[in-house]
Amino acid sequence: MKSSYAYYPGCLASLSQKELDASTRAIAGKLGFDLVDIPGFTCCGAGDVHEARPEYYLHLNARILGQAEQLGQDTLMTICNVCTLNLRQADKKLKADPDLLERVNRNLKEVGAASYSGGVEVRHLLWEIAEGDGYEKLKQICDKPLTGMKIAPFYGCQILRPSKLLGFEDPDRPQSLERIIEACGAEAVDYPSKIKCCGFPIVLARAEVALGELIQPLVEAKEAGADAMVTPCPLCHLSLDAWQGKAEREADIELEMPIFHLAQLVGAAAGLSYDELLFKRHVVKTHSATDKIYAS
Amino acid sequence: MVRHDVVVVGAGLAGMRAAIEASRYGVDVGVVSKLHPTRSHSGAAEGGINAALGNAGEDSPEKHTFFTVKGSDYLGDQDAIAVMCEEGPGDIYELEHMGAIFSRTDDGRIAQRPFGAGGAPRTCYAADITGHVLLHVLYEQLVKAGVTVYEEWFALDLVTDGERCVGLTAWDLQRGGVQAVEARAVVMATGGLGRMYRGTTNAYACTGDGMSMAWRAGVPLKDMEFMQFHPTTLKSNGVLITEGCRGEGGYLRNAEGERFMFNYAPNAGELASRDVVSRSEQTEIDAGRGVDGCVLLDLTHLGAKRINERLPGSRELAMDYAGVDPIEEPIPVRPGSHYHMGGIDTDVWGRTAMPGLYAAGECACVSVHGANRLGGNSLLETVVFGRRSGAAAAQDVRSNGAGGVFSPSAARVTERSLQRMLDVSDGERPHVLRRELADAMYDNAGIFRSAEKLEACKATITELRERYSRGLVVHDKSRSFNTDLIQAIELGAMLEMADCLVTGAIERTESRGAHSRIDHPERDDENWLRHTLAYYDDGQVRLDYRPVTITEFEPAVRTY
Amino acid sequence: MEVTLKIERYNPDTDEPRLESHTVDVAETATLLDTLDVIKDEVDGSLTYRKSCRMAVCGSCGMRMDGGAVLACKTPMKPLVDAGHVATISPMGNLPVIKDLVVDMDPFWEKFRAVKPYLDEGDGDAPVKEWRVQQAELDRIMKEALCIQCGCCVSECNSMEADPDFLGPAALAKAARFVGDVRDRGGKQRLELYNGPHGVWDCTRCYFCQERCPKGVDPRDAIAKVGTAIYQEGMLSDKGARHAKVFVKSTHQTGYLLETNLVPETVGAVNAIKDIPFALQLVRVGKVPNPLKPHNAKKLDEVRKLHKLIETQENEARAAANAGPKRPPEEGSP
Repeated sequence: MKSSYAYYPGCLASLSQKELDASTRAIAGKLGFDLVDIPGFTCCGAGDVHEARPEYYLHLNARILGQAEQLGQDTLMTICNVCTLNLRQADKKLKADPDLLERVNRNLKEVGAASYSGGVEVRHLLWEIAEGDGYEKLKQICDKPLTGMKIAPFYGCQILRPSKLLGFEDPDRPQSLERIIEACGAEAVDYPSKIKCCGFPIVLARAEVALGELIQPLVEAKEAGADAMVTPCPLCHLSLDAWQGKAEREADIELEMPIFHLAQLVGAAAGLSYDELLFKRHVVKTHSATDKIYAS
Repeated sequence: MVRHDVVVVGAGLAGMRAAIEASRYGVDVGVVSKLHPTRSHSGAAEGGINAALGNAGEDSPEKHTFFTVKGSDYLGDQDAIAVMCEEGPGDIYELEHMGAIFSRTDDGRIAQRPFGAGGAPRTCYAADITGHVLLHVLYEQLVKAGVTVYEEWFALDLVTDGERCVGLTAWDLQRGGVQAVEARAVVMATGGLGRMYRGTTNAYACTGDGMSMAWRAGVPLKDMEFMQFHPTTLKSNGVLITEGCRGEGGYLRNAEGERFMFNYAPNAGELASRDVVSRSEQTEIDAGRGVDGCVLLDLTHLGAKRINERLPGSRELAMDYAGVDPIEEPIPVRPGSHYHMGGIDTDVWGRTAMPGLYAAGECACVSVHGANRLGGNSLLETVVFGRRSGAAAAQDVRSNGAGGVFSPSAARVTERSLQRMLDVSDGERPHVLRRELADAMYDNAGIFRSAEKLEACKATITELRERYSRGLVVHDKSRSFNTDLIQAIELGAMLEMADCLVTGAIERTESRGAHSRIDHPERDDENWLRHTLAYYDDGQVRLDYRPVTITEFEPAVRTY
Repeated sequence: MEVTLKIERYNPDTDEPRLESHTVDVAETATLLDTLDVIKDEVDGSLTYRKSCRMAVCGSCGMRMDGGAVLACKTPMKPLVDAGHVATISPMGNLPVIKDLVVDMDPFWEKFRAVKPYLDEGDGDAPVKEWRVQQAELDRIMKEALCIQCGCCVSECNSMEADPDFLGPAALAKAARFVGDVRDRGGKQRLELYNGPHGVWDCTRCYFCQERCPKGVDPRDAIAKVGTAIYQEGMLSDKGARHAKVFVKSTHQTGYLLETNLVPETVGAVNAIKDIPFALQLVRVGKVPNPLKPHNAKKLDEVRKLHKLIETQENEARAAANAGPKRPPEEGSP
């Protein structure tokens, strides 16, 4: 774990998923690292800009990396799977091809943007607290253990795959979320779909397909006895939380499964309040789970 | 019962090329293959395909012809070789227009590199996955042509009316059961037989069943004794490492680090012909200068960039199956059975001795490879003679009117014999015989042969054929997807073809190309400048001979 | 060394799927395929799987190990033995099982055929010799050309689980191989095949295909290349393309994703109205940013200029790519 990071909350945590940004900032203080804001950052473009306009996507992300570099930071912290993959993909491509990097920097310079020399690594919050001194620190701050709670880890896709770009852990048998859940004093429940897709990228363009994907982990987590699910990705969160009702109706079942952001889970175990972690901003009410946490 | 004008058996490069060509003549074409087309072993060809395009240096079809004749140790028919070499460039351009992804020169032409004993940089390539690229291009064209493919139908027997070939019977693997396939012309394109050897580069499917079908139907097989040993195969499983590695400048070293090939081929060194390089390697290994039964293929001096650009597949194979990264260290390699020069006797249009039956590709012997094939010529053969046999079959169908009579009992006869195989409940398992055969062939009909070894091999084969005829136990008694049954049938074909190979080898008391007799070390043009023909004679092998066609190049001493 | 495998057995004629455990002795270098061969030869000949080349090029032996698709011939057993792990072997997913580890590939090939899997040669005006093509132009489709059609990607495609009609990663990688070929004259008609229902916009970007592919084809990247071509040809009829357009617009209009534009501009105003109860639910918890007061990123002018500049460069590159293959210089017109 570093003492400070260039902090890239991405769009969702800045807009609809503000509870994630707030929770992240709150636990950063507890964990003892600084989050240095990147003035003038933009959207990473997500898979959409990457697909539609790959060159533009590359420049957008180079610009963000350059801005982080300008802050004197060597590590950029993400809190979203999609941002993580997009930034890392661009970073790897630029670092692997000096001619490309030069061309991109020429363009960045032409529009007056910060150029990038390849000195930044992109890391997700999850990776920083799932091992090493970050994990030790995490165990220390979790002084309100979530004893007796069963939490279903939901990884989402783009923090595991493609592993040659992400590579933090075995993409088929990840354990980072489980370790964190245990550090929080809760029990991690296992279920097959924890590494599968939530359907979010196509929830508007192909609603039936997306909901068909979404229902699977929700049902399995419920059947495994989970009080709540936790995810390191705000897009998975939006899918699991905001679209849960639609998936329920489509499948004609009732789930009422509370969905936690990773930072909320950690924050709760570290004694941060319901209000501080903005649980009230969830679509699926979290009381069935949060009441157990905040009862005592 | 299915019925087509032309039925092609086998869907590798030769078979698909034949089917595509035949369909251009407006006849109804069907393809029967025991594998889905893209699973065919053509896809494992790595290094490239020869044609005198002259893109990388002065070259001509005549030069290609000469070096092929010389490489064949003068056993190749020179008229056939000339056809292949003259028509080759046109076939390459056609493949390119179909979308084949050939590696390119700086000015955008098809790149070419030298291969062993070729005499010029003539081998067109797609990195080192040339066969894969061509196989998929031809499958694309097969789909485009709308040819009906009977995938995973295992061809069993040719059906004749006593004179003409009128079709065949096949086992539908997925559904189970014998299917009658009626045809006015049948093109065999079933590939090689390398699996009868231990440590082969060949796929599991290369069991010589097509040759066996033709042989049993009375069609002669030609030059069966000539089996090529490829100089660079991996020890663990015989996987091929392309000759392109040496074409790109790779070295062969012995345990002392010496580039030993110059002791055997002072001019060509590593790029001598395959028979010469394989014998040299085996000599080094036998003399105690090997490394754990191998020599070393050293690419380290080529550098990571060149290896990754030109030989990425070889690097992947070495890493997967030998645990060696060729950028860092040499690859241990040894000679392994690779390509069978012999096969169903055909003319330059793929026609066999039986009306209505054609053959192309490795299962055929035109003969363009003679006693030793040059690297890069087999892919060329598949497209040139695949095209020609498809054209001949279609044209003959159009000009012949009605074909022969397909006996309705044919399928029942085959069905009964298969049922007999399934009914055996007591006896040996096929794999026991398969292993004994593979060991006998490698040990006694390998790189260096002798009367004593070959006779021992023949005795083993005779005994194995007897044991086979007593019936083997097929565990799987079900109809659907019975691969246990198929493997037992394939073993039967291998035993028959091994018999043809070894019987021919015993008689040929000379050393020529890949047939190297330590008891007859010299080439003997006076007695043996002729093709061996192996006929079916009540289950046994009967040999006959035919002169070699010599047009331009008188046999000369062959050195590299 | 001794290897133990648990193998899913299934014979449609006789039984229900069941797990069978086998322990056999194999060479240190043995692959999963070698191990299955030993079991088939020496223990139970009825064990059924496909195989041929045993060198990872024919694509026959795709199957699942511990739930993930692999080529049996490319999967060494030693790491499992060293770890003391007993792997479970089962047939590939998303395709019907015929017997044991053999799946029905017909649906797979049906999709292959649906993408017009061959070069569109246009008017047949090919030169006598080869087209002049730069190596760099071919390198762009080289990854897709590595595909051996084994089906490992399809086995784990998450979208295909929910929409079995999705063309899927293998067929779309094949499509990308032609879309990117300078010799192909398929143009928009070809792209239209991949643009509608069950086409590229079905991909949910789960990256399982990319993870499982044993040949480094990177099928998800290939799907994206097809999407790029469709988008840049201005073919925005599909909701997927319109969804992407909102993202592009967002980045240079406000710098952040215009979440409130996403629904109406993707699914259309009428459908968006149908979704009002759902939207209100989001508004209630503060999930809908105020569209009238967009939250703009700082230094937006940089991004706007960047967007314009790159658009110009992309247009130039596309024009060059669409110009068609080059003829050999020595040839005149016939």
